[in-house]
Amino acid sequence: MNIYLHELSMYRKSTLVWSLAIVALVVVMLAMFPAFAQDAAGVQKILQGYPAAVRQAIGLNLSTITSFLGFYSFIYLYVMLCGAIQAMNLGTSILSQEVRDKTADFLLTKPVTRQKIMTAKILAALTCLVLTNICFFAAATIMARAVNTASYSRQIFLLLTATVFLVQLMFLTLGILISVLMPKIKSVLSISLGTVFGLFILNMFGSTLGDTTLRYLTPFKYYDPAYIIKHSAYETSFVVVEILFIVVAISASYFLYARKDINPV
Amino acid sequence: MNVIETKNLTKYYGKSRGIIDVNLSVEQGEIFGFIGPNGAGKSTTIRTLLALIYPTSGSATIFGKDCIKFGPEIKQEIGYLPSEVFYYDHMRVIDLLKYSASFYNKDCTARIKELAAVMELDLHKKIDELSFGNKKKVGIVQGLLHEPKLIILDEPTSGLDPLMQQKFFDLIHTEHQKGATVLFSSHILSEVQRLCDRVAIIKEGKIIRVEKISTLKENNYKKFSLELPAPIASQYFQLRGVNNLLVKDNTVSFLFSGDINLIINKLAAIKLNNLFIEEPSLEEIFLHYYE
Repeated sequence: MNIYLHELSMYRKSTLVWSLAIVALVVVMLAMFPAFAQDAAGVQKILQGYPAAVRQAIGLNLSTITSFLGFYSFIYLYVMLCGAIQAMNLGTSILSQEVRDKTADFLLTKPVTRQKIMTAKILAALTCLVLTNICFFAAATIMARAVNTASYSRQIFLLLTATVFLVQLMFLTLGILISVLMPKIKSVLSISLGTVFGLFILNMFGSTLGDTTLRYLTPFKYYDPAYIIKHSAYETSFVVVEILFIVVAISASYFLYARKDINPV
Repeated sequence: MNVIETKNLTKYYGKSRGIIDVNLSVEQGEIFGFIGPNGAGKSTTIRTLLALIYPTSGSATIFGKDCIKFGPEIKQEIGYLPSEVFYYDHMRVIDLLKYSASFYNKDCTARIKELAAVMELDLHKKIDELSFGNKKKVGIVQGLLHEPKLIILDEPTSGLDPLMQQKFFDLIHTEHQKGATVLFSSHILSEVQRLCDRVAIIKEGKIIRVEKISTLKENNYKKFSLELPAPIASQYFQLRGVNNLLVKDNTVSFLFSGDINLIINKLAAIKLNNLFIEEPSLEEIFLHYYE
């Protein structure tokens, strides 16, 4: 419990900043929706001018963009990008930060097992992500009420919103795994930004090519908004793959961290 | 009972040598010195004992329990002060110490205040505002606040001014009186001599000798360097106890151990421009001691 609380206070500021950033993003982008919806035909005409490949790459769906959920699923891709960076940063740094700041000697000479340290840190990171998502959800709900006049499915809205958290979980896991695999991490940001943008670009490629196997490689593609809107559900195979990935990667991380030499940098 | 016992403890970092076949036994209630030049393997040994790193082969026990398997349990009773202290910069000293205390099954509040008063440590400053020496003080309080039965010190005095060093030694002494066992690593022979009962000398990853301090004291070397107004024949200094004699033009240097009056009389009889009597470096002692 003491480690958990300490970790929470360590990431208090960054969680606040990320939450504010995501809230701002949601507010600004959803505020544009009325303009889109009012002149649906005009907007569709303009967007048609873009090459199809570009539209697919940035996640723009012509037929749905002027409906609220369609528009929402377009902008939430960018919320997801933000969220992914936040989660990846957290995952990569929760263990490596101690080594980099040379505080690992302090923590690991205390009477506590490495498993407990890791559990406390993961729980703290999860708490940060949940808090961010609560802010995101609140902002999205309020904005949805404010800008949307037509009715929309609450369930689909919820499913879409929750995907941000689900994708964050994968990036958090990936970050943790990378941090225990690499002997030394000099800069968290270069690793996390590199990974997130790499996978984001892969996502854009995947959208353009329509390749289905590629979808399993990038977390951004696990939850296809078009599918969710159509079926009011997630695709089972991707949910299963996500759960498997998280279980395997986190178990491996526990195993590796318990056996890792903590060397002075 | 031996508080620390290592059995052929070996650690390689990849291919590079850490320590090789280290066999140590530290008895209950003693202050055990651990001395050797930088890079000899002192920290590697200590970090292995604390399960920060894992041995390549061999094993170690603390309080009779395997230090890896029972690491968390053993550490309830260990206080550790590293050579370089680093803490969470944004925290206040008191918060850090409270965090540290929260790991132990006892109330350490009074003890924190007491230790901070002795070390003249301001509890309300932020860690990143502290000088190196003051951070070291935080380390000392942090290492002793739970009244550990085993205190492990890895070159603890660097960065402390002589006055604080004295206070620190007094603290260690008090803990020792209360029954704590101390493992004290250092590369400064004089401070080990001052504090310890026995000392292990480590060189290039291997323990080359374990000595009683009393034995070492008999070989109490001093390093003499003189500057003379005129050259002098090297024969003048050929007497028992003089080693590593080096005469070059007007300067003479040597190591001396034995009756100090003998050499002082000898020096009094000649004209000097300058005289330095210093503690020899470990290497210089090793050079002679193990020839």
